Order: sequence, then structure tokens, then C-alpha cells
Amino acid sequence: MTNPVVTRAPLGRQLRSELRWIVRRPRTVIGLSALCLVPVLAGIGLWFAVDGDGPAGPGLAAIIAGNGLVLPVFTLFLALPLLLPLVGAIWAADGLAGEAQHGTLRGLLLSPVGRVRLLAIKAFGVATMTLAAVALLAVVGAVVGVVLFGGQGMLTLSGNTLPVGAALGRIALTVLLVTVQVWGVAAIAMAISACTEHPLVVMAATMAGVIVSGVLGVFSSLDWLHPYLITSGWNKLVDVMRDPLPTGELWHSTALAGCYVLIGLSLAAMRLATKDS
Amino acid sequence: MTTSTSTPAERADDVTAPALAARTRGLRKVYGRTVAVDRVDLDVPRGAVLGMLGPNGSGKTTTIRMLLGLVRPTEGEVELLGRALPDGAAAALPHVGALVEGPGFHPFLTGRENLRRVAAFEPLLATGDIKRAVEDALERVGLAAAAHRRYRGYSLGMKQRLGLAAALLVPRELIVLDEPTNGLDPAGTREVRNVIAELRTGSTTVVVSSHLLSEIEATCTHVAVLHRGTVVAQGGLTELLQAESSALLVTTPEWVRALNVLRDARISARAAGGESLRVELIGTTPPAVLEALVKGGIPVWEARRQRTGLEELFARLTEAEEAEEGLSAVDTVEEGAR
Repeated sequence: MTNPVVTRAPLGRQLRSELRWIVRRPRTVIGLSALCLVPVLAGIGLWFAVDGDGPAGPGLAAIIAGNGLVLPVFTLFLALPLLLPLVGAIWAADGLAGEAQHGTLRGLLLSPVGRVRLLAIKAFGVATMTLAAVALLAVVGAVVGVVLFGGQGMLTLSGNTLPVGAALGRIALTVLLVTVQVWGVAAIAMAISACTEHPLVVMAATMAGVIVSGVLGVFSSLDWLHPYLITSGWNKLVDVMRDPLPTGELWHSTALAGCYVLIGLSLAAMRLATKDS
Repeated sequence: MTTSTSTPAERADDVTAPALAARTRGLRKVYGRTVAVDRVDLDVPRGAVLGMLGPNGSGKTTTIRMLLGLVRPTEGEVELLGRALPDGAAAALPHVGALVEGPGFHPFLTGRENLRRVAAFEPLLATGDIKRAVEDALERVGLAAAAHRRYRGYSLGMKQRLGLAAALLVPRELIVLDEPTNGLDPAGTREVRNVIAELRTGSTTVVVSSHLLSEIEATCTHVAVLHRGTVVAQGGLTELLQAESSALLVTTPEWVRALNVLRDARISARAAGGESLRVELIGTTPPAVLEALVKGGIPVWEARRQRTGLEELFARLTEAEEAEEGLSAVDTVEEGAR
């Protein structure tokens, strides 16, 4: 120990290594490919609903016809309640519990990488991949929507039609809003991931939490609880489809998801700091 | 686990490298109601190859994990390369390579990709040196030809070698190998021994654990015997062996006359059958015995030291422990229990 200065591996190198590791995982590639099918299937479903007298009825058909840019937003709302939380939970589960299971977490800690820094690297990986997944859904949704229904603009829930530029802005906004919501769930999943070495436990617990939270949101006798449930803000995200844009509910649900991120990561850091591995 | 007073090793750190690569004092780890490790005072001298010997469940792995800061001791102190853990971990660990509880790698990545990932987190490796360091380490453990294959398809021996390669990525001051020959064939075992010998020549301190006595006897300069979570004996391998009552076996055709010569020299000896004598080395040394014999005109055909093998020592120590089983407060846990 001649050099008293504490040396650290460059952060950029560690972050790149983390991303490469996630992307190289077969389940990531398969999962993202499967995710791309969602807007395609939603588009085809709507195509038949528009074309014939589908169960969706003429109302939905009227909205979608000639408004292909609605499809990415529609797809994101379709995926938010279950599919996207699952995706976030998988990455959070693999990040800590999965590494512990393979014995690789030990190797990282011995490198050494500080435990707080390790959590930051893992959170960065999950956050980046979540954003990528949501953006991918939106892009595929937009392409499928424009191809199937045409892309003249976006008909809002308020009745007017936004021009293409504004419509793309609304899609980007939806991507950000939905991503932050998934981050909230993934952060809680990270906290669970720090406590176990079974990735399946993390996924099951996270999804059970999302479902229970959704169920609790149904009971009006529990309405005192609803402002604190992350899922209760998800329905209100449709506000992005209104014109002019009402921001109140959007701010509230985003701030709530931010709190979930903070709480989840703090719990994960506390657990990781004293964890035996 | 921090102390307000500075330990001798910490003070020495300012002037010169401490004499001990690692040191534990009063180490204790309790999992729930099970005491895994208790009162472990381990000294790892710099430049030594310390063998941690003990049956499965004797606390070897738990001690190693505490030594590396992976597990927080319930009580006691750990000093690694002169720095107290856990605060000193960031400064000490870059100079420590370890293979703990078997190799841990990702099955879907190739051997090379797995090592690259480990290397990316290695503080002492410059980004430009990673490629070369990975290839060197693969070469050193004989995995270069299989580096492009997925870890999933590796044999147990190859996995073990990749774990060794990860520990050897950077020149280290201390290498800790937990059961490094597990699952290796005789050729692989020999290679691991060669690597340890190489490290020793390069003045790297090595801690190696094993439940195989032959393994420790073949590679180590120092030994610590663990049993039921405590160190029951430790020290230099030769000193530990010589501390046992040993004898000299002397072969001579004139054994009757030899007995008389030795009796005159006040050296206790007895006939050991055939043409040999067993000379007890109590209060005397082999040169003194031989001098007495030669001066007495005895033709000595052969003289060899009868050692108390480490195996005997180990067996005796563990048996002694088992005899006091009723008194022992320490329970045995499976290694790796958390």
C-alpha cells in the first residue's frame, strides 16, 4: 500500500460496461422484440375495428381513422398498467438479485466498487433501458400508426386536431411521463432486488404490488389512500391527449412517481450498505 | 468495527509497508442463532502463502468473506494490507485479488466477455490496458483457446480457471483463493500449484483455503487450522511440524553398538526393528546424534527424519476438538450460509 490515494475505475467505463451487459443478455433482446409486437398488434386490432363494425364501435373508429399518431400514445397507455412495470422489474431484478445469484455481485464489490456507486450504476442501467423500451414502443407505434391510418395529425380528446409537429411533441411528452412512472415501479423493484438473490421473487413481488395497488384504487372507501398509489395516477395520464394541455394531474402523478424513485433507491441503498455477500 | 486507537500496523503504514498483509482480531460472526466464526485471530505475514485448513463448515469461507469486507463481522476487527475495514476497503481492495465461494460469472457471456466486464470495474486497470490484461490472464490460466466460448458450456475446471484469471487481472499484493482446486483434475491442480508458486516468487501474499491436507502441505509456508469456527493452530508450516515430538530413524548394521554409544551420549534411542534405531529428538538435534554415532565409529547407512505429518497434526487437533464437543459453544454451519 504505497499509494494512499484511493483509486476508482472511471465511472463512464463502468456505465458503458453495465449497459453492454444488459443489452448482451438474450432476454433483453427477446423482450424488446416482443415489446415491438404490442403496437403492431394494437394497430392491426384497430384496423379491423375501423374497417368493419368491430366491438370497439364507431366512436373509437372515428378517432383513429386518419389519426395514426394516436396509436403510439394508445399503445403506451395499453402497456403501462402491466407490461412496462414487468419490463422494469425484470431489469431491476437482474441488476442486483440476478448478480447475487450468479455470484458476480461479489466480484463487483471486490473490484472494489462502492456500494452506493454500484447502486447508482445499476439504477442508471435500469433507467436508461426503461427509457429505451418506452421510446421504442412509441417509435414503432408511430410508424405502424402512420402506415395503417395515415399521419395527418392527432385528434385530441377535446375534439380538435393537433398538427403533426405538435402531435410529435405530445408523443415525446407521453414517452417521458410514462417512463417516469415505470422508473417509480422499477425503483421499488430495486429495493426488493437488494434484499434477495432470487430474481423471480423481485418480479413476482413487484407485479403483485402493482396489481394490489390497482385493486385498492378501485374502492372508493379507500379514497384517502388513492393520492399515494402510483397506479391511480396512470389513468389520468390521458390528459396529454387534451388541448390545451391540463398540467395539474400530470405534475401530480409525475411528482408521486419521483417520490417512489427516491424511496425505492433509498431503501435499496440502506439494504445494500449492510448486506453480506 | 472501528477503533479509536491506532494499531501498530496503521502507524507502520506511514513509514513502511506493514509486516502483515492481513490481520484479524477477535473475529466473530453470528447468523441468527448460529455462531459461524468465533474468536478468530489470524495473522497473514507479507510474502507468505497461508493455507487455511479445516473441514467443510469450519468457518474458512466465512472468515475469508469477512477478511475481504464482503461480510460484516458481528464482533472483531479486520485489517487488510494495513487498513482497517470497512473504511479502508476502497484503498485496500484494488490490490487484492480473490476467488471466493467458487467462480461467479454470467452464463450467456463468453469467458473473454466475462473477464472484460470484471476488468471494466478494476480500478488499477487503465482503459487502454484492459484488452491486453484480459488476454494475459486468459493465457496464464490456459483458457486462451476457450475464451470465445460461452461460460455456460465451460467444464467445472474451466470455470475455476476463469475465476483464477479474474483474480490475476492486475498484479496484486494479496491473492485470496477459496478452495481453488475444487473440481480440477490432477493436471489442473498442478497448474494452480504452479500459479501459487509463481505468485510467491513475485512476492505476492497468498491466502488459500482447502480441506485437503496434501494441498496445503504442497503449497504453503504458513498454515492456520480452523475447526468449528475457531483457529485451533497457526504458524509457519515447518515450525508447526517441528513443534511436534519428532524422531530420527537411523539405519546401521551395528545397531546394538550404536545403542550403547548413544546411551553414553545421553541420547534416548531404541531399536525399531531390522537394522534401524529410533532416536528421539528430545534435547538434541540430528547433527548432534550423527556426530555421536560417527565419533563412536558406527557406520551410518541412512538417517532420516520421521516427521509428524500435517495430516497427523490435523487429525489430532480436530479429534481433540471433538472430544470437548460438549464444552464447545460454537456450532458448525454450512459454508456459505447467510
